[in-house]
Amino acid sequence: MSQNVSPAATPAVETRLVYAHGLAAIVTLLISVAFGILASIELLVPDLAGNPAWLSWGRLRYDHTQGIMLGWLGNAFFAFLYHAVPLLTGRPVTSARLGQWIFGLWNFAVVAPGWVLVLAGFSQPLEWAEFPMVVDVFVVIALALAIIQFLPPFFRRGLEDLYVSSWYVIGGLVFTLLAYPMGNFVPELVPGARGAAFSGLWIHDAVGLFVTPLALAIIYYVIPAATRRPIFSHFLSMLGFWLLFFLYPLNGTHHYIYSVIPMSAQIGAITASALLGVDVIIVVANLLLSLRGSGVFSRDVALRFAAMSTIFYLVVSIQGSVQAQMSVNQAVHFSDWVIGHSHLAMLGFATFAAAGGLAHVWQRIPWARYNARALDWSYWLLFAGVILMVTDLTVAGLVEARLWQSAAPWLDSVRAARPYWLIRTGSAIPIAAGFIALLLGLTTGPKGAGLQSVEQTIGLEPVREIAPRLAPAASEAS
Amino acid sequence: MSRDAGRFLRMSYVVASVAGVAFFVMSVALLGIWPGHVLEDETRTMSPEHPLGLTVSEQRGRVIYGREGCAYCHTQQIRYLHADMARFGSPTLAWETRFDYPHLWGTRRIGPDLAREGSTHSEDWHFAHLYAPRTLMADSVMPAYPSLFDGSPDRPRQEARDLVAYLDSLGRARELAGPEGEAHARTACQCPDDEMAQMAFHATALNANPARPRRQGAAPKLAPAGNLGRGQQLYAHNCASCHGARGEADGPGAAALHPRPANLAGHEYTVDRLGYVLWNGVAGTAMQAWRDLPTQDLAALARAVGGFYVAQQQPTVPVDLLDLGARVYKANCAQCHGDAGAGDGSAVGELRITPADFRGARPSVAESLRALRNGVEGTQMAPWTGRLSEAELSAVAYYVRGFYQERP
Ligand code: HEC
Ligand code: HEC
Ligand code: HEC
Repeated sequence: MSQNVSPAATPAVETRLVYAHGLAAIVTLLISVAFGILASIELLVPDLAGNPAWLSWGRLRYDHTQGIMLGWLGNAFFAFLYHAVPLLTGRPVTSARLGQWIFGLWNFAVVAPGWVLVLAGFSQPLEWAEFPMVVDVFVVIALALAIIQFLPPFFRRGLEDLYVSSWYVIGGLVFTLLAYPMGNFVPELVPGARGAAFSGLWIHDAVGLFVTPLALAIIYYVIPAATRRPIFSHFLSMLGFWLLFFLYPLNGTHHYIYSVIPMSAQIGAITASALLGVDVIIVVANLLLSLRGSGVFSRDVALRFAAMSTIFYLVVSIQGSVQAQMSVNQAVHFSDWVIGHSHLAMLGFATFAAAGGLAHVWQRIPWARYNARALDWSYWLLFAGVILMVTDLTVAGLVEARLWQSAAPWLDSVRAARPYWLIRTGSAIPIAAGFIALLLGLTTGPKGAGLQSVEQTIGLEPVREIAPRLAPAASEAS
Repeated sequence: MSRDAGRFLRMSYVVASVAGVAFFVMSVALLGIWPGHVLEDETRTMSPEHPLGLTVSEQRGRVIYGREGCAYCHTQQIRYLHADMARFGSPTLAWETRFDYPHLWGTRRIGPDLAREGSTHSEDWHFAHLYAPRTLMADSVMPAYPSLFDGSPDRPRQEARDLVAYLDSLGRARELAGPEGEAHARTACQCPDDEMAQMAFHATALNANPARPRRQGAAPKLAPAGNLGRGQQLYAHNCASCHGARGEADGPGAAALHPRPANLAGHEYTVDRLGYVLWNGVAGTAMQAWRDLPTQDLAALARAVGGFYVAQQQPTVPVDLLDLGARVYKANCAQCHGDAGAGDGSAVGELRITPADFRGARPSVAESLRALRNGVEGTQMAPWTGRLSEAELSAVAYYVRGFYQERP
């Protein structure tokens, strides 16, 4: 089987595109986080800076989430793909020129203008779809170009016995392109409750078909590459993959439980949400079993990020399954509990995977600076920040839920949330520091220090040897 | 390994890819298209024949609502849950959302649901609230939107007018459909056994917002001896923004309101009147109702409000002055304020804001004279200086104090 991936060919990794997207990821991350911090401060000090329209809470809130999803995660995923796709397929991506176009479109036709337009008052009030429709057009074009860029190597290699990361990459890119219009265009054309049903689909697909598959692609890639052992079970990987693509899209309506949307659709989504928890247990068990005995924490920081991401993934998914259940949902829906949940997903699971992916690929760019100590700091700061923020918001949500169920005046729930919002803003300190450390980790330190650190932690092997290891072991596949 | 099995394994990705696309298509069909059809049917059958859509101005307001992210703090979707219904009213029916391109349901509530915001607050309240929320609601965290105004809440730009017009349209279609509309929807629903659907038809109030003023209505009887400390605390959080720290109608929000908040220090109120006002608000003004406060808290507030009145020695009034006052009142005031000063004169039906009820609220002479000289801005109480002499003004100002009915 392993002759499908020619170990002899040194795959041409476009390291400059890896580097460009990686840096863009962190810059957009810092800007997105700044939007988030400002919005959180405005809940404490609402009349900040004379209330100019472009700094108003709603607009910052739009830019925060769109920046995180498209700017930070999008760029980080692209950076990873430029490294991983050639290694997974033994073939280069379609074209470096095309790569420049995608980079330009993504950052200068999507993220930057999207932000500016939102601040200037051009946006759409749809969740995970706040950039205005002109920008959405460029997202769709860029995604289509990304498919042209990254999928042909898989087809040229042949789809037999693909490693699970490859499946996640293919699935993630194709289905994001299909799902994107559903949340960004359809509700503009289909009114009210009917449109909301489609919004629900996209709210979950954004996480389930874009963020999750690509984050899992990274985790599934980094773990064997850094532990230098095959994944525990390829069968479980593929089972998890298919269940995921079956179940995720069916979750959408769980954002509108007890609404006028037909009950059978709601119940279907609630059931799918519960089953999704089971699927995630399969995926995570497989990943954790692969990590068993590898000495994760003493080793590579990229691996540590990926491992922690796996744990966050488990917790956030189980939480999701629970909060989709009607008895829980009726209380915590609309509260800070859900904000905690989404941060556990995006800041815990996805961001840790993306940071792990970036650290991993950075180590393998021979000319890139790399600062292992800064990355170590980044890991622990982010870890502390996520735990603090998510715990805080979860408790806040429970407090709000209790007040909403009682006869207390509405403002009592706002008053009660204040101390929790203060702590949430406080949690921004370790988180922002962690991200600055991440930036330092990838821009300071000696050139090529990444390879040295790999050598010290897991022992250096030629980069191209990583590829064959990722193909299913011959014994298992036959 | 047999050749067939090998071939199957190699081809399995084809099966898998087809299955993957099928999953996706299935999800769109099951959770998007099919519910869409059901909802479309429901809309068609349950909607009144000509439901009122949005005017052009309201439509523009809707765009502003979208652009400012109001939907990220306010839902527009009352769920089929008793907790939601108790706060906001009847659950949202599909047809009510038929003009919403795109929907603004929202998934987070930092502020309350706005699906039935229409006719909950007065226009001046909305302007002042959008301009500077904390001048009215001291503990609010809602963003201020001064850019919709020309420097003061009294000078709204077209954008602010559009936005307030939109807010006033929320829930209107169902309200206008009225009992006939409800009956029609209920029959069309054909769902007598669907417990959830029935909730929409059996809500105690279409709009249950506890702040919504009522023109008339019962009010709980308040204990005369509320807890003063608690009352003062509640007053500081909820009322001082408008009525001022000492009840002198000089809070930060006062200037923007028409009529201005009542001068609590210039009036004596009966506990019953305070109970009525707190429970029902003053319809047409920015004085909202406070039905979300428990009765003990209302009693505590009443006690605190009562404490603002500075009992002044009102001069004893000669009888002939009172006679003059009575004549002036009968000729000029009774058609609005009523023969017994109850604010129920024959012209009341035409007034947007009910005339003062002197039985439950006794203005000081100075307070009355101010109203008579300047009128009450924002109401149909016009200035009387041109029409009545100084003597007549004073006479009637003394006279109206006589309507007060303090009960032991
Ligand atoms: C950061 C969250 C937030 C945003 C954004 C926000 N609001 Fe609010 N809103 C609140 C809170 C909290 C309250 C309750 C306190 C108050 O009345 O100010 C409220 C109250 C209201 C009320 C009174 C509701 C009632 O019936 O008592 C209206 C009307 C309103 N907001 C309209 C808007 C509009 C219009 C926008 C957008 C231009 C908006 N809000 C944006 C938080 C927000
Ligand atoms: C948004 C500003 C605002 C707030 C907040 C407010 N009021 Fe008022 N209040 C008014 C206005 C405006 C009037 C009506 C004046 C008029 O009718 O001319 C009024 C009238 C009154 C009256 C006189 C009613 C009558 O006609 O007899 C009382 C008593 C009163 N308010 C008490 C309170 C108390 C107690 C609170 C706090 C729980 C409160 N108000 C909060 C604005 C406010
Ligand atoms: C067109 C109907 C109308 C007529 C006529 C009228 N009023 Fe009024 N009056 C009102 C309204 C409306 C208010 C405002 C009530 C409010 O602010 O809630 C008011 C308010 C007042 C107030 C202030 C009450 C307070 O508590 O501060 C006084 C005093 C008053 N009127 C006295 C008179 C007298 C005396 C006359 C006759 C000379 C008179 N009004 C004629 C409608 C009328």
